[in-house]
Amino acid sequence: MGEAGAATGSLAGGVAAAGSPMPEADPEAEAAKLLPFLAPGARADLQTAAARHVLALTGSGPGRTLLAGQEALLRALVELAAAPAPAPARDAARALVNLAADPGLHEPLLAAEPRLPARLLGRALDPQWPWAEEAAAVLANLSREPAPCAALMAALAAAEPEESGLERLVRALCTPGYNGHAPLHYLGPVLSNLSQRPAARAFLLDPNRCVVQRLLPLTQYPDSSVRRGGVVGTLRNCCFEHRHHEWLLGPEVDVLPHLLLPLAGPEDFSEEEMERLPVDLQYLLPDKQREPDPDIRKMLIEAIMLLTATAPGRQQVRDQGAYLILRELHTWEPEPDVRATCEKLIQVLIGDEPERGMENLLEVQVPEDVEEQLQQLDRQEQEQCVREQQERELSPEPQAEGAATT
Amino acid sequence: MEQPAPDAAGDEAMDAFLEKFRSQPYRGGFREDQWEEEFAKIPLFMKQAPSEVDPRENPDLACLQSIIFDEERSPEEQAKTYKDEGNDYFKEKDYKKAVISYTEGLKKKCADPDLNAVLYTNRAAAQYYLGNLRSALNDVTAARKLKPCHLKAIVRGALCHLELKNFAEAVNWCDEGLQIDAKEKKLLEMRAKADKLKRTEQRDIRKAKVKEKKEQNQNEALLQAVKARNIKLVSEAAGEDEDSASECPGELFLDGLSSGNPCGARLSVDDQGRLSWPVLFLYPEYAQSDFISAFHEDSRFIDHLMVMFGETPCWDLEQKYCPDNLEVYFEDEDRAELYRVPPKSTLLRVLQHPRYFVKALTPAFLVCVGSSPFCRNYLQGRKVHQSFLASWLGRSC
Repeated sequence: MGEAGAATGSLAGGVAAAGSPMPEADPEAEAAKLLPFLAPGARADLQTAAARHVLALTGSGPGRTLLAGQEALLRALVELAAAPAPAPARDAARALVNLAADPGLHEPLLAAEPRLPARLLGRALDPQWPWAEEAAAVLANLSREPAPCAALMAALAAAEPEESGLERLVRALCTPGYNGHAPLHYLGPVLSNLSQRPAARAFLLDPNRCVVQRLLPLTQYPDSSVRRGGVVGTLRNCCFEHRHHEWLLGPEVDVLPHLLLPLAGPEDFSEEEMERLPVDLQYLLPDKQREPDPDIRKMLIEAIMLLTATAPGRQQVRDQGAYLILRELHTWEPEPDVRATCEKLIQVLIGDEPERGMENLLEVQVPEDVEEQLQQLDRQEQEQCVREQQERELSPEPQAEGAATT
Repeated sequence: MEQPAPDAAGDEAMDAFLEKFRSQPYRGGFREDQWEEEFAKIPLFMKQAPSEVDPRENPDLACLQSIIFDEERSPEEQAKTYKDEGNDYFKEKDYKKAVISYTEGLKKKCADPDLNAVLYTNRAAAQYYLGNLRSALNDVTAARKLKPCHLKAIVRGALCHLELKNFAEAVNWCDEGLQIDAKEKKLLEMRAKADKLKRTEQRDIRKAKVKEKKEQNQNEALLQAVKARNIKLVSEAAGEDEDSASECPGELFLDGLSSGNPCGARLSVDDQGRLSWPVLFLYPEYAQSDFISAFHEDSRFIDHLMVMFGETPCWDLEQKYCPDNLEVYFEDEDRAELYRVPPKSTLLRVLQHPRYFVKALTPAFLVCVGSSPFCRNYLQGRKVHQSFLASWLGRSC
């Protein structure tokens, strides 16, 4: 009896010793309990409740970290995100969006489902899939990191040779009404992330095709800054390819007016100045608005800056009247760091030509000490910007728009 | 060619046959003076097919034709023959005939969709060169219905839209074609061209709008200036229609300002904000008139009359129209009354008279020689206000 008692005592003790001293809820165990309810055969209302619970978890850092360790749960979530109605595919997809936003989750996600990029791609590009936008958003978050981006490129390549995967992506982005249920704005950032890879840029800039040209009108897309930002980011990345500059600036693509147009306002230029501008920038109506998002404005200026890297590129940018537009932008621009970027570009346009050996600024070898000086200057400028920002926040005064002296 | 029916083989018959040529010359040969023409009539040696085949003129050719276009052959074969015929005409740039041939081919309603798509596309090309762009578009649309991937139809359609200046449609067709063959050079070129033309057209629309707005602003400013001077304007149509009064009178005047009067002169303003009017001088005695395209409102009547009548005009038979003799009047049409205008007053003063109404934005004045019989006659029986100031102040005189 004593032994039995002792045995029970030791069991309990054993149990007590293994876990926490008090019988508290174990978050991992709780999470694992959700698993059966997320499984494909489970009751729809239970699935919905479980999915909602997981979605709530993904909203916090600790919640996401918890889920990172639950491979089976992640896999179930991925399945659920692709399941047909009445399954809670949308909530599952949104949970994935939150998870993918956290770089720490990328490895666990890809470990749980190595084919995740391909499956998400299939859903995003399916014209009938109602949650295609969510699938695209997951891809946008995932493709920010190099490993998932490479996996996505591979998935795109796997679709060939019948039809280029990138071509399908571009078409889905550029065709209005491609998917009646989902606007697919997040394909913009997906493309932008992909354009960091040379193979993607090579496709976008193929002179024997018409790809980048179809993206150009989207710089003016009014209904989504996500889409606009993605397209502008893509174009900026493409502008790194200085071997393509002449083609980009030439009549077959004519990229410059599309980069300048969002930066232009309802300026009243003289007839003579007007005739110097590209056709798209002439006689803009009085209700013309500039790009409202400062980050996108900055990217546009950076893209133009890249196009001025070579001497012929600089000349073309000058000839197409960029200075006039940038001058007016500088007067209007409320954001200090965008204004600084604008100033730098104006300097390049009105400055003297650099000496021999410096014709292609992207290929110039910067000596170490100069490099250090430049970094020092950059830091000082950053601090200046931050200080100005703080000053503005402390004593906010409404910026008078259009209060510019001519 | 006359030839006696050959007898059953026999030397004698042969001899007899050959004997004939001693007496009867061979008449089946070519005539020496027109052998080339006759030569060209033989189908085998024809260099050029005649445009119309007359069976009496050309029985051999008509015969051959009937073999080719034999109704007993399958519709596909017949359609193909018509297609080939159309293509031949096309090569010779005889587009009208080509259209006819292709149409005949389509009439066969053969079961081969590829062949029909080609017939439609080829006919569209012929129509394109004939300038029948809408017909061409109808044909390529029909071709695409039969064969959605027929690139030639898409290229032709894009070309039609380009010619019709439907630039956005042209770009769409090119994009559709590029989905089938992403590297089609013609489509790539056309797309770039159409896109540029579209953007240029949009610029032209904006430019016109800006110009229109500018003109509208200028006209509004002019109307304001007129209003500020208390000058009354009257449009030609006013008073005729009850409804026209409800329409904003300003608009009628704005139109008048834009179009100017038939001589092209219009109300204008100078840098100091002073107006100049187109003014009509009427000489009822001789049914003559003078038109001053820009009468500055601060200049006086006498100044203009001095210049205009420095020499008496040719129609002045009695040579009496000298500046000193002239009397200027304006008519209040409503009341059919005349008002005397002192020559030394400025145009502005007169226009501001409470009973002066500027008609069609062109002030008009009557001029005659005061002492002349005509003038006395003209003024008789009419109410004439001789004192300008008094009439202004509303006192009868």
